[in-house]
Amino acid sequence: MTERELRAAFTRHEALTPPAGPVRAAIDRVAAVRRRRRQRVRAAGVALALVGALGVGLPQLAPRPSPQHAPTVAGPSTGLPTGALNLLVLGLDTRSDGAPPSADSVLIVHIPADRSRPYLISLPRDLEVKIPGFQRSKLNAAFAYGAGSEHPDRSKGYDLTRRVVADLTGVRVDAGVVLTFSAMRKATDVLGGVEICLPQQVESVHTRRVYPAGCHRLDGAASLDLLRQRRGMPDGALDRDRNAQRFAAGVVRQVAEQGALTDPVQMSRILAAITPELTVAGNMSVPDLLRVVPELSSADPVGLSLPVVWPEVPSSPTSTGETGGLGLRADPQAAPAFLTALREDRLAQWAAANPERVTRLR
Amino acid sequence: MTYEEFADPRLAALLRYAVMLTGDPHQAEDLVQETMVRVQLNWRRVARADSPERYVRRMLTNQYIDWRRGSWVRRVLLRAEPDEAVPAPSDHAQSSVDRDQVWSWLARLPRRQRASLVLRYYEDLPDAEIADILGCAVGTVRSSISRALATLRTEYVEVCS
Repeated sequence: MTERELRAAFTRHEALTPPAGPVRAAIDRVAAVRRRRRQRVRAAGVALALVGALGVGLPQLAPRPSPQHAPTVAGPSTGLPTGALNLLVLGLDTRSDGAPPSADSVLIVHIPADRSRPYLISLPRDLEVKIPGFQRSKLNAAFAYGAGSEHPDRSKGYDLTRRVVADLTGVRVDAGVVLTFSAMRKATDVLGGVEICLPQQVESVHTRRVYPAGCHRLDGAASLDLLRQRRGMPDGALDRDRNAQRFAAGVVRQVAEQGALTDPVQMSRILAAITPELTVAGNMSVPDLLRVVPELSSADPVGLSLPVVWPEVPSSPTSTGETGGLGLRADPQAAPAFLTALREDRLAQWAAANPERVTRLR
Repeated sequence: MTYEEFADPRLAALLRYAVMLTGDPHQAEDLVQETMVRVQLNWRRVARADSPERYVRRMLTNQYIDWRRGSWVRRVLLRAEPDEAVPAPSDHAQSSVDRDQVWSWLARLPRRQRASLVLRYYEDLPDAEIADILGCAVGTVRSSISRALATLRTEYVEVCS
């Protein structure tokens, strides 16, 4: 066995070499796919800002910058936020009957320190909570109490809700946003509709429209109609919260597919549509939030809810999901572990250990 | 230099090199494809290297050495790419491969040893450059080549004596 024979063996097998042309084409094709996927993740991260804070920034609390300042969204900023982030998203039911607005969707968008993926955590609006300065009441009332009834001040409503949520969960809320129905409707329309995947049929008590189980692409008005529904579903408002998570996941997918928020033109259209409707609070700036986004390795959110139990009396929820005068209680068995996991940024393990508590989002 | 300017004249040579490493045209294609996709996506970093050519060869060699050949996940994923590009080896080539003892002995060598043999006896690189590509000391290259040759010689003696 000589080195010459070895050389000869190599040379002999040069004949096996495949032609370069098709390989070259395959390389370009695969590279293009991966490049797109990368951009999707990036864009989807931005979408998270949209879910977590549709077009975040433009605070109403501070002097509000004019919409021309929207491009500062892409502008420079100092210091990239590190560690886990929690954004509080409140969906506001602005009543036409003059009653004070209440926050009927309370969602924490949790971004873990490892930036693996976003977590959407619903807190049921019927949860019975201690509201500082007021009597025990349901979570959605905190907004109304804070905002006041004469000339409702949304930033005060947000603030009181944030305190209640912080007391309840023990997490620091880094930023927050208040969405009205009309902001959601407009944002959905600007996106060209959002696909939402329902595990069960939903019938609207408002419009009589029926949304069969399965995936649908809905425009702004239809999404809104769907997201208002809670009657007739087995878990009432809890099922509505799950649908809100599914909608949020749909927004993320939609924006990811369109690359909408990497497109400055599209971005400014979205901002212009929703800015007047939006209340944003917190100590993180828009650029700060957006810069977190490309760090996410997956844009597929995980949907979770605070584990709750129905109150003792009445012994079971009525068919409408109402609980009478009593609010839901945090599940004494499951909730503490869940909240600890949230505080300690270990939701991935918690979700893996409690798969039955993870909302199917599509 | 753009990615295309780099890749077009070198692809054939990289494929030949990959065939010598893997011993199989399909795996050679997969290996080159996977490497070059990463080269393309990270082109700026590759182009900054002192010698992009050697940098890419190092990427490809590392990819080969780390490749978990037994992993079905990887195999399924890679095979899921359209396959029309792969030429079926002609009967003649196939049978000569089957008959080729040296070739099948090479397949049984540890990959690092095979890579050093290919780099020295096919690519005709000096040991210092082989060491750079494999990311080890020159002495390590020499000893792994002599171990590989010793293994081959043992096989040779067993079969041919």
